[in-house]
Amino acid sequence: MPIIEVSKLAKDFNAGRAVLRALADVSFSVEEGQFVTLVGPSGCGKSTLLQILAGLIAATSGQVLIEGKRISAPMPDKIGMVFQDPTLLPWKTALANVEFPLDLRGVDRALRRSRCSALLELVGLSEFADHYPHELSGGMRQRVAIARGLAQDPRLILMDEPFAALDEQTRTRMGHDLLDIWQKTGKTVFFITHSLTEAIYLSDVVLVMSPRPGRIIETIAIDFPRPRELDMIGSEAFGRIRNRIWHLIAEAQV
Amino acid sequence: MGAALAGYLTFAVVLLGGWELTAQLGLVGRDLLPPLSEVCAILWRFLHDPRFISDLGLTAGEVAIAFLIAAPLAISTGFLLGERLHLAETFNPVVHFVLAVPQSIFLPVFILAFGIGFFEKVLFGITHAYFVILLNSFAAVRSIPRPLVAAARVFGATRAQIYTRIYLPAMLPLILTGLRLGMILCIIGVLLAEMYASRRGIGRLIFTWGEGYQVPELLAGIVLVSVLTITVNEAMRLAELHVSRFYARASTA
Repeated sequence: MPIIEVSKLAKDFNAGRAVLRALADVSFSVEEGQFVTLVGPSGCGKSTLLQILAGLIAATSGQVLIEGKRISAPMPDKIGMVFQDPTLLPWKTALANVEFPLDLRGVDRALRRSRCSALLELVGLSEFADHYPHELSGGMRQRVAIARGLAQDPRLILMDEPFAALDEQTRTRMGHDLLDIWQKTGKTVFFITHSLTEAIYLSDVVLVMSPRPGRIIETIAIDFPRPRELDMIGSEAFGRIRNRIWHLIAEAQV
Repeated sequence: MGAALAGYLTFAVVLLGGWELTAQLGLVGRDLLPPLSEVCAILWRFLHDPRFISDLGLTAGEVAIAFLIAAPLAISTGFLLGERLHLAETFNPVVHFVLAVPQSIFLPVFILAFGIGFFEKVLFGITHAYFVILLNSFAAVRSIPRPLVAAARVFGATRAQIYTRIYLPAMLPLILTGLRLGMILCIIGVLLAEMYASRRGIGRLIFTWGEGYQVPELLAGIVLVSVLTITVNEAMRLAELHVSRFYARASTA
């Protein structure tokens, strides 16, 4: 059974008197343990799709099954999420931020502590447990957000352009470390980006979305061996895939 | 903090020292500016006078009651307007109109409507404090980063948890600013009402001493009210600073 199953999903927004169709007939599925990335031009409805998957907004038609269950509200035990902004609580320390989802569910303090300390270690921030968000760099904040996304031990992590605001070097490093975390934890990751390089480097499967109204126009399996090396980004095979996706998006745009 | 303290001390020394010096050298007539030492002696006597203390207590009580009624009312109205923007579109202009008009001109109307006394003074304090607290509470709700709320929802926060765990701490700095400004205005309102028409209270005493040319007593009253209001204001400002420490760069978190 696929962990995500989306069929004939559509989403309309009311924009004054007009109706804006953000998503039209989106269908795809994601198998457990996969790293799947969705790419598409900005404004194509990627984030809208992710918000529907997270249960934050309702679809106009079609359905989303997460672990075979129809989603209509957030499912914190099944889905963790990392946002484009770290969205950490500025009045809580890094550790307390990671603990926040467990805290909401009333998980025992000692259990929370030990579990979240381990997660901070996983993202390489053990030494910064007592720091407040404003004392951390952009990359570190996003690491805290990743640890928080893992806190409730969900099988699926949704990531909405999590590295978009970071500089190129930090971004590459974060992608590399994310693959490491993904392999260690065995989670399913559904990732959104507009960087084709990032998408191909990270993923098992890249879903290509058309401009608004968004549809999935191509599903591309990425067969590069793992663990992946940064050198492969310069390879000819990598370039071919990137060009192919680039043309798909460019042609859909006219 | 150290620099601020040095600033306060310099200010106090220059002001009070200048006063004492001016008076002692006779640069200004003694009946217009008695020496600080004489004023302090009178103040000391006042503080041991049960009648004076009861006047002071009455005013403080009026301010406290007005503030305790105005604050929760204003915070909840501001919260409601912040959460229901269509209401805000209707009522925010009204709030701004009210704030634009000096409220003191309504005092005669208050007296005609509610008579002279405790109730009228408290009511005048409430209307002074209400609008500025409301505006800050409204701004506080609007200042809550929406992505923070979305994140909390994804992690399973209930509506009540979103209010207590996200809204409350995120709103606190602006709420405290509103409360401090509201407190200042509340004191102004009550004192104005006392000075304009009242039988008792520190405002009334100050007005009477001024009318009667009792300059040392008048100055003693002014010094006391100044010290008390500065103390209240500074205490509230410290709380504000303490809370907003974490918010300095909150927008980038």
